[in-house]
Amino acid sequence: MKPAPFRYERPTTLEEAVSLLAGDEEAKLIAGGQSLLPLLSLRLARPSVLVDLDGIDELTAINLDPAGSVVRFGAMVRHHISASQTHHPLVADAAGWIGHTAIRSRGTIGGSLAHADPAAELPAVALALDATMHVLGPRGARSVPASNFFVGTFQTALAADELLVDVDFPIPRRWGFAEVARKHGDFALVLVVAAELQDGWRLVAGGLGGTPIRLTAAEAALDAGVDPAEAGAAAQSAVDPVAHLHASSAYLAAMAGTLVTKALANVSVDTRNRDR
Amino acid sequence: MAHVAFVRSIVAHARITGIDTTEAEALPGVRRVFTADSPALMGLGLRAKSALPRYVETEQPALARGVVRFVGEAVAAVVADDRYLAEDGAELVVVDDEPLGVSIRAWDPPAAPLHHQAPDNVLVHRVFERGDPETILSQAHTVVRRSLITNRHAGNPLECRATVALWDDHDHLTLWSGTQIPHLVRNILAELLGVSESNVRVIAPDVGGGFGVKAVLYPEDLAICAMARTMVGTPLKWVEDRVEHLHAATHARDHRYDVTAGFAEDGELVALDVDAWCNVGAYSVSPWTAGIEPLMAGGLFTGPYRLDHYRCEVRGVATNTSPSGPYRGVARPATVFAMEAILDSGARALGMSGAEIRRRNLIRPTDIPYRMPTGLVDDSGHYLECLEQALDIIGYDALVAEQARRRAANDKPLGIGFAVYNELTGLGRAASAGPRMPFRTGHEACTVRVNPDGKLVVLSGVTSQGQGLETTLAQVVADAVGVGYDHVEVRYGDTNESLWGFGAFSSRQAVIAGGAASTAAVAVRDQILELAADLYEANRDDLRLSDGRIMVVGSPQPIGSLADLARVAYLESNRLPKGHSPGLEATRFYDPVLGAFAGGAQVAAVEVDTATGELTVLDWVCVEDSGRVINAQIVEGQVMGSLAQGLGGALYEHLVYDRDGNLVTGTLLDYLMPSGAETPEFRLGHLEHPADNPLGVRGVGEGGTLGPAAVLAGAVADAIGLEIDRLPITPSRLWVLLHEGNR
Repeated sequence: MKPAPFRYERPTTLEEAVSLLAGDEEAKLIAGGQSLLPLLSLRLARPSVLVDLDGIDELTAINLDPAGSVVRFGAMVRHHISASQTHHPLVADAAGWIGHTAIRSRGTIGGSLAHADPAAELPAVALALDATMHVLGPRGARSVPASNFFVGTFQTALAADELLVDVDFPIPRRWGFAEVARKHGDFALVLVVAAELQDGWRLVAGGLGGTPIRLTAAEAALDAGVDPAEAGAAAQSAVDPVAHLHASSAYLAAMAGTLVTKALANVSVDTRNRDR
Repeated sequence: MAHVAFVRSIVAHARITGIDTTEAEALPGVRRVFTADSPALMGLGLRAKSALPRYVETEQPALARGVVRFVGEAVAAVVADDRYLAEDGAELVVVDDEPLGVSIRAWDPPAAPLHHQAPDNVLVHRVFERGDPETILSQAHTVVRRSLITNRHAGNPLECRATVALWDDHDHLTLWSGTQIPHLVRNILAELLGVSESNVRVIAPDVGGGFGVKAVLYPEDLAICAMARTMVGTPLKWVEDRVEHLHAATHARDHRYDVTAGFAEDGELVALDVDAWCNVGAYSVSPWTAGIEPLMAGGLFTGPYRLDHYRCEVRGVATNTSPSGPYRGVARPATVFAMEAILDSGARALGMSGAEIRRRNLIRPTDIPYRMPTGLVDDSGHYLECLEQALDIIGYDALVAEQARRRAANDKPLGIGFAVYNELTGLGRAASAGPRMPFRTGHEACTVRVNPDGKLVVLSGVTSQGQGLETTLAQVVADAVGVGYDHVEVRYGDTNESLWGFGAFSSRQAVIAGGAASTAAVAVRDQILELAADLYEANRDDLRLSDGRIMVVGSPQPIGSLADLARVAYLESNRLPKGHSPGLEATRFYDPVLGAFAGGAQVAAVEVDTATGELTVLDWVCVEDSGRVINAQIVEGQVMGSLAQGLGGALYEHLVYDRDGNLVTGTLLDYLMPSGAETPEFRLGHLEHPADNPLGVRGVGEGGTLGPAAVLAGAVADAIGLEIDRLPITPSRLWVLLHEGNR
C-alpha cells in the first residue's frame, strides 16, 4: 500500500495552483487528504503531480455576508473549524458528524464537496441549502449552484483543471440533521438534512444513490402542512435506493423516511436574526 | 536491507499458465524477482500434519505453484531497494492463468477440487458420538432445530505481520518475526530449509497484537527466508499492510451448524445432534492443520452443560478463500452461539426462562471430574456460580420487571441474553492430543538465573502480545524466590535465550509458562537456601528468603543477602562449602497434562430500536472463574478486551466474498472494527476457584470472546420474539427480520 510515484507541489497563491493544475493533465489537487491518501496508497488514484492547497492562506477564511444571511467558507476550512464556528449552525452540526477528531483536524469543506462521496454530510447540506460553489480555472472564475454540482458517485461539475475556491451557504430559518451509520464516525448509511429556506422546506438525503438527492415529494407534502411522520412516509415511498454490502434497498428507503421524521421532529431555529 | 512486495493473485482459482517477470526485473531499484520456479523456492512448501484417520494432508507452497487458490495468495515476490520500488515492480509482473471453478462456501457442492488429494474438498472429517442420540431424540418430550451461520472474521491486530530474514556466510539464519510461536517456527523452518536448528535463530521481541493469527507459520515467512538465503548478508524485510492482512492472513469462524436438540419436560437437555461445516479456506494452516476449528467445534460444542447422548459430525471444507486458522476463542464463539441458541429455543418451547433452562443443565461442582461426551474431563463445574453472580450483579429480577413494563406500555423492546461457557485453557499433553499433530503443545520451559549481583533473569519461551506477561512472570518468580519484583528481569521471544517454549495461544501462558517459571523459581530458591545454610552454618529449614535477604525464622536481623550468596556462587568459589557447585540457576519444564477449564457467564440487557434496527446495550455483566488471580488489572484487561472483540464479531466484523471469490471487504472502510464508541461499559465479577496447577490459575486470554454473539442474539430474540440465525447482527438485517419475520 505505497503510492505510485508522483511529484509534489505546494503553491502559495490561487493563480499558481491553477497554472500547476492546467500544466499537467494528470495533476490532482490535495486538500486534507483524508480520502485521497488511501486512494493513492491503494493505487486507485495515480496522479503525476499532487498540488497541495495547504499553503494558500486565503482559502481558510470564513465570512458572514453583511446581510447576515449567507456564510462563505473557504475551501480549505478544516472540519473541526466548521464544526466549532458559530456563523452557520447547520454546517457546524453536520461537520460534527464527519469521521473522528483526527479526520476532522485534516479534512476540509472543499475537499469533501469536491470528492463528492455519496454518503458524505456536507454535499447533502450544500444541496439542501442551494449553496453556490465558486470555481477558478484557466478560463477564469465561475459559479455553480449545488443542484448542478454533484453529477454522480465521486463526480462533480468541476473540470479537471478547475479548483473549488469557496462556497456560499445560505443560513436556513430552521433546520434538522439526522444520520444512521454502522459505526461512530463512519460514512452514513443514510443521512437527511431538513432546512427551511425563504421559499419553503428542503429535504435532502445522502447515501441512497450516487449523489445526495432532494426528496421533493416529501418537501411538497411538508409545505402543504403534513406532520413529520407523514413527510417521512412520503420520503420513504418516493425513493429507490441502491442496496450495498451494509444495507438492503428496503432498509435504506425506510431509513430515509425515519430520518426525515427525526430531523423534522428535532428542528433547531436560528434565533440570532428573526427578520430573515 | 532490501524490501519485499508480494504479487498477489487477483483471481480466486486458476491454473497459472505463465508468469512474466522481465519488466519488473528491468525496473531500476528492483534487485530480484522470485516465483515458485526460482531455484531458491523450488519444491518448497508447508505441510500441516495430523495422524487423524480422516485428515487429508495437502501442501501450501511458499509461492503459488501451478495453481492459485484464493484472491490474495502470493504468486511472486519482488525484492527492491525500498517498499515503494518493490510495489512498483510487483505491478509489472504479469500472471497469465486459466480460470477454474470457484467455491466460497463450505456447505455448497464444490465447484472444483482445490487439491487433488481431496476431490470433495473435505480436508478433515470427524464424527464425535456418545450414547444413542437418535433414539433419545425420537422419544424426547420436546425437540427443537436451528440452522445457524456464523460470520468470517479477521484477527486484525493493530500491528500486522512483519518479518526480517538475514543469512550470514556460515549458513546461519536470523529471523526477526512478529510470531507468537518462535520455537515452533525455528523447528519447522530448519527442517524445510535443510539446516540444523542451531543455525536458525528466531527473535520475536514485541509481537504486537496477535490473537492467534500470528501463531501460524505463513508461506510468506518461508518464502522470505528462502529468498534471503540467495542474498547472503542482505536482510530482507516485509511488513504486511492492512489490505494484505485482510486478504491473506488467516481468517476464522465461517461456520454452519445444523442443530437438533431434545429436551425433557423439565428442561433437561437429553440429546443433541449437530452437523457442522467449517470453511477452512484454501490451505491447511501450518502447523495447526485444517482441523483446528472443526475439531474444537465438535470437541467442545456442549460446553458447560451435562449431556449423555451426543452426535456431532464436523467437516473442514477447503474453499477458494484465505486459510482459516487460530483466532482468539478458536471456534468456541461460534459454538457457544449455537449451543446457547438451541437452549434458548428449548426454553421458549417449554415456556421456561433463559436463566432457568441453564440452571437445569449446567455441570455442577458435585459432578467433577465430569467426563464430557467427547471425553474431555471438566475440572471446574463452577458455572452456576458464575451465572448466579452475573444475574445478581445485573439485577436480573428488576430487568425482567422492566421488560414486562415495556411490553405492557408498548415501549422500546428490551431483551435479556445469556451465555455460559467453558474455555479449555493451559492444555497439557493429554488435553492437546485431539488434533494428533506430530507435536504436543503441553509443556513449556523456563530458566531462572541469579546473576552475580544477586538480581534475577527469567528466560521464558512465551511471547508477548501486550498481555503483560513480563509483569505476570516477574511477579510469579519474585514471589517464589523471595526477592523484590524490580530485581527480576523477564526475557522472552528469542530462541537463542530460552530453552524451549511453544509460545502464546490457547490461553496457556499463565498456566504453563507460569507453572514452569514457578517451578524453576522454587528450585532456585532451594539452591539459595541450601547454600546459605551451609555457608552460614544454619539449619536449612529455619531459613527464609525475603526481599533478597536471608532471614532466620524468629529473628528480625538478616544473616546475609542474596547478593552476598550470588557473589560466592559465581566469583568466590574458594568460599563455596563442600558439595556446592558454582552458579545459581534452574531450568524446569512444566506440563499440566490435562488442562484447566475456565468457566464464565455473561448476561446483558439490550434495547432494540425497531425503527432503525439499531441496538443499545443497557448493561452487560461478565463473571469469569480465573482461578487464582496473579494480577487483577491484567486479568480485567484480558476480559474487557476479549469482550470487546467478541462484540465486534457479533455486530460488525464480517469478511465477505462474492461468488467469484473476490473479497469485498478488503479495507477497513467495509470490514468494520469496533472502536471505543461501540464498546459498552462492561461490568466484571470474579471467581477464584484454584485450578490444580502450581499457581492455581486458569487461562483468561479468550473466554470473554465466547459470550457476546450468544448474548446479543439471545437478547434480541428475547426482545422481539424472532430468532437470530445469522451473524453479524446488523441494523439492516434486524430491520428486515422485524418487517419480514423468520422465513
